[in-house]
Amino acid sequence: MAGVEELYRARELTGNLVRRDLKVRHRGTFLGMLWSLTTPLLYVGLYWFIFTFIFRARDIQDATRADGTVVPFALYFFGGLVIWNLFATAVGASTGSVTGSGYLLGKVYFPRAILPLSTVLSAVVTFGFELSVLVVATLIFGGLPTLQWLWLPLILAIVTVLSFGLALLLSAVTVFLRDVAHFIGVFLQLWFWGTPIIYSLTFVADRPLLLRLLQANPMTGIVTSFRNVMLLNRPPDFKLLAYDALVALVCLAVGAKVFGRWQRQFAEIV
Amino acid sequence: MADIAISCVGVWKSYRIYHQRANTLKEKVLSRAHRYEDFWALKGIDLEVEAGTTIGIIGPNGSGKSTLLKTLAMVLTPNRGSLTVKGRVSPLLELGTGFHPELTGKENVYLAGSLLGQPKREVAKRYDGIVDFAGIETFMDIPVKNYSSGMYARLAFAVAISVDPEILIVDEVLAVGDEGFQMKCWERIAELRAEGRTIVLVSHSLPTVRTLCSRAVWLDKGTVREIGKAADVVADYLAEVHHETAENEQAGAGSHGRRYGSGVAEITEIGVLDGDDAHTGTFRTGDPLTIRVSYTIPEGLDDTICGIAVMRGENLAYVFGQNSGQAGVPLATGVGDIEFRVPSLPLLRGHYVITVVLHDGAATKIYDCHERRHWFSVFDNPSLPIEGGMVHVKTEWKAMPSTPVPVPTP
Repeated sequence: MAGVEELYRARELTGNLVRRDLKVRHRGTFLGMLWSLTTPLLYVGLYWFIFTFIFRARDIQDATRADGTVVPFALYFFGGLVIWNLFATAVGASTGSVTGSGYLLGKVYFPRAILPLSTVLSAVVTFGFELSVLVVATLIFGGLPTLQWLWLPLILAIVTVLSFGLALLLSAVTVFLRDVAHFIGVFLQLWFWGTPIIYSLTFVADRPLLLRLLQANPMTGIVTSFRNVMLLNRPPDFKLLAYDALVALVCLAVGAKVFGRWQRQFAEIV
Repeated sequence: MADIAISCVGVWKSYRIYHQRANTLKEKVLSRAHRYEDFWALKGIDLEVEAGTTIGIIGPNGSGKSTLLKTLAMVLTPNRGSLTVKGRVSPLLELGTGFHPELTGKENVYLAGSLLGQPKREVAKRYDGIVDFAGIETFMDIPVKNYSSGMYARLAFAVAISVDPEILIVDEVLAVGDEGFQMKCWERIAELRAEGRTIVLVSHSLPTVRTLCSRAVWLDKGTVREIGKAADVVADYLAEVHHETAENEQAGAGSHGRRYGSGVAEITEIGVLDGDDAHTGTFRTGDPLTIRVSYTIPEGLDDTICGIAVMRGENLAYVFGQNSGQAGVPLATGVGDIEFRVPSLPLLRGHYVITVVLHDGAATKIYDCHERRHWFSVFDNPSLPIEGGMVHVKTEWKAMPSTPVPVPTP
């Protein structure tokens, strides 16, 4: 594909745009890049406090490791949140990735797809920070690194492709329909609750219709599998993950098609 | 045959002019009628640019110059027709493309460099030069939002002229600001041209197009009106503008040259040459300059004299003029050349236009006069102190001893 080769050739520019995104986000703040670590750390502490002392959450059935030890609910929740944040940040920020770069579009040519790509990649970098916090927290709460961690790159690849596909689609649509930028925040909120992050699929195991519905959400398999390999020393949910990979590829194909068709008009409209 | 760097075949480009743009869902649903019309900015442009040539795009406002330039830079996609560009393109359509206010000067240099198609190692190689040129070493690590507008412009400009493209696409808006900037910019373009890069430039400055470009395209209402040697196209364009606005032609700044005379003796060619005998059209103060006049003078016209006058381009101020008669150099009859040599050009920065004439000894019969048909440009010579005016004069300043002035008592 010519588009892929073009993207590869523009990798230096993509890298610079990702760096710009990350630098600009933290520029002028006292902690700078440390915020990427501080925020997730504060969240872990907060969830631990709330779920231990306020909710007194009982450990959920799913949060049991293969060896029988139980993962604290706060950690279980945080694990799901980390991978969800990657997806939500990438997709949420992508809507503005083309419209926010109007000043570049009219002045230089570059493969337009690097705009949504760089927002997705910045989300991946931020995810890296949160992942390191998750790893440290896991070690503290008694989990040891396991061979299951080797599945991480596969899960990461699927969620990145899914995010990039949606980012392509949404960034292109936003150019013609600015409403999307507002709509996406609400939509992601709904999607969050439709994904087993704060709960697990076992909660609805007795209601087949609801279960089916939740499983149709491509993020379900990703979150479940991520938690399985990172926290529970279990294999990923291969069936769901395979479905997610399929959805991700369809998203990418549709996104690339729409973006490719509409990008020629970006410079004139934005 | 030389390689074709840029090839446009039947390129059409339209803009949709919305009377009221529907940007939101509500507007899209509520407005059924499409309230827009198509405006065709380019109507079937055919253009081929050979590698290594410098081509200027001229034409009145709204003729499609900028649209064509943006299309060549691949920023805009044509509706119809095909465009093939071979080589790495660096578009300079404005100063400070891609600068982000929150990033430091240094970060912006790299970001802008990669946007202009420069690989990182190239930018790294040029970085010191860029900083030097901008003269703001101490500010490279603070965000550009804290720069003064002058610092910002200097850095943006330094980045712009540091690009090392295979194909340079440049809009004259780049050369906004003071005259020093403009000249530096044209100088850099002259340098790239000498290195054999392909350059496409849009300019309203016809002297610039005439001296810098070998070829020119005249656009008119989205079509190519004329394409050819820069001097010819500019002359024809000026002839038309002149015709349309005859009453506006006071100072003669926009005056096109003309040729007149009895034709008994004839000037066959005029070359404005530099020290290497090359037709660059650009010089620095202090450079050697030679005007070579090729002529045909029939037997019997033994007293033919060649005269040369040099004027400022913008206001036709007469700078100097000499003729071969005053110098006591006779022109041999037949086919020959005569050279007018300036060993060290005393002219300062600016565009100049020359008139060359052949006439009889009494200057009563004009055989052939090329009036203001040839141009050259002079750039600053970095080894000379900065001066104002038109000419470089060798001078000396000497401070004399002073005597104290008694303080007046109230």
